[in-house]
Amino acid sequence: MAIRHDQGIVLRSYPFGESHRVIVLLSPNNGKLRTVAKGVRKTKSRFGGRLETFCLVDLVLYEGRNLDTITQVSLLDAFSNIRTDLDKVVAAATMVEVADAVAQEHESAIRLFLLLRRGLESLDRRDLHPDLVTAFLLKSADVVGVAPQLDSCAGCGATEGLTRFSFGAGGVLCDRCRTPGAYALREGLTAYLARVAAADIAELPAPDRSFSGEAMGVARRFIEYHLEKKLESLAVLDG
Amino acid sequence: MFEAPVQRLIDELARLPGIGRKSAQRLAFHLLHIEEADAVRLGSSIIDLRREVRLCSRCFNVTSDEECSICRDLRRDPTVLCVVERAQDIPVIEGTQEFSGRYHVLGGAISPIEGIGPDQLRMRELVARIDQEGVAEVIAATNPTVEGDATALYLARLLKPLGVRVTQLASGLPVGGDLDYADEVTLGRALVGRQEL
Repeated sequence: MAIRHDQGIVLRSYPFGESHRVIVLLSPNNGKLRTVAKGVRKTKSRFGGRLETFCLVDLVLYEGRNLDTITQVSLLDAFSNIRTDLDKVVAAATMVEVADAVAQEHESAIRLFLLLRRGLESLDRRDLHPDLVTAFLLKSADVVGVAPQLDSCAGCGATEGLTRFSFGAGGVLCDRCRTPGAYALREGLTAYLARVAAADIAELPAPDRSFSGEAMGVARRFIEYHLEKKLESLAVLDG
Repeated sequence: MFEAPVQRLIDELARLPGIGRKSAQRLAFHLLHIEEADAVRLGSSIIDLRREVRLCSRCFNVTSDEECSICRDLRRDPTVLCVVERAQDIPVIEGTQEFSGRYHVLGGAISPIEGIGPDQLRMRELVARIDQEGVAEVIAATNPTVEGDATALYLARLLKPLGVRVTQLASGLPVGGDLDYADEVTLGRALVGRQEL
């Protein structure tokens, strides 16, 4: 059993025993970490609010047989402004839900970690950009190797007449390759999705509100198709 | 593997929250040695709990009547509602002796990550009480977690347009604690919510 240092973003936590919590983090070097924070549910806990969801922390861990135990926590960023806006909470929750679904334990996750960190920073420091979650979903698909093909037909490579989007084929399709059930794209949506996917997540271009909702819908269904699960967070405020 | 009655009890105890296999075994062997009258009292307490206790039809606190003792108490101020996540939170707030209004138990908190939205909580029942009882203020006494804060924000979004004042419990330093040991998040919120003297 050894003591080691690590860094991570808190993805979620759940009660464990009388007053402990299991804290699930995304570490840049070790991927998804499951750790135990003892006594953290007591008001006198020395960890206090440092292990709340979305917090970026430095950790000292005592390695255990099943779960590592957190012995020290230093807060690097609490992204406190997210917690004061319900829509930002839902956006941040969607990002950590996707990160939690794609990250693997004991595997480096530097790109995913940096993407999540920059996404949370953007939410915390600026107004909520309507395309931020869309950009995160498209970029996380890229990180895990399933980036949607948006510049040419996923069937034949044609660059003209890209009118459909197929979740199974992994991108846009031309009229000749269209398959039953492929999603019909409004003119301009493919270019809009490509623009959002290519942009720096911290410097997204000005949104076009006539496309933002539909772009989010396509990105959401695409990532749900590949994760084989519904994104719970985005559904919370539906209806 | 133990004799069937012992194993059955261990299996049942191990289903309780916070009780693992080892603790369940320890409790089972303790119960094996207690007086029969004590065992019968424990057993009937559990059965009575299920038979006699239900949820208050107004606030969803636990009660053995149609309405809980707090809702029946005419001295309580009906215009102030304290909204809590769980019924267990009510005795904690009552213990402060600082609150004389009524309660509403939501049955949880909004948790986007777990897919728990307002529809899974008793929000509709809360809105119905606003008009019926002439509620003027709702205190969001949810846990100071991301989920609790999200619930408080939702309450504000839902109830402010109805002309209801929505407040949230202050958060900050524990009384008797040392500033040295405060974490940055708690201390930051204490600073934001500082009071003029």
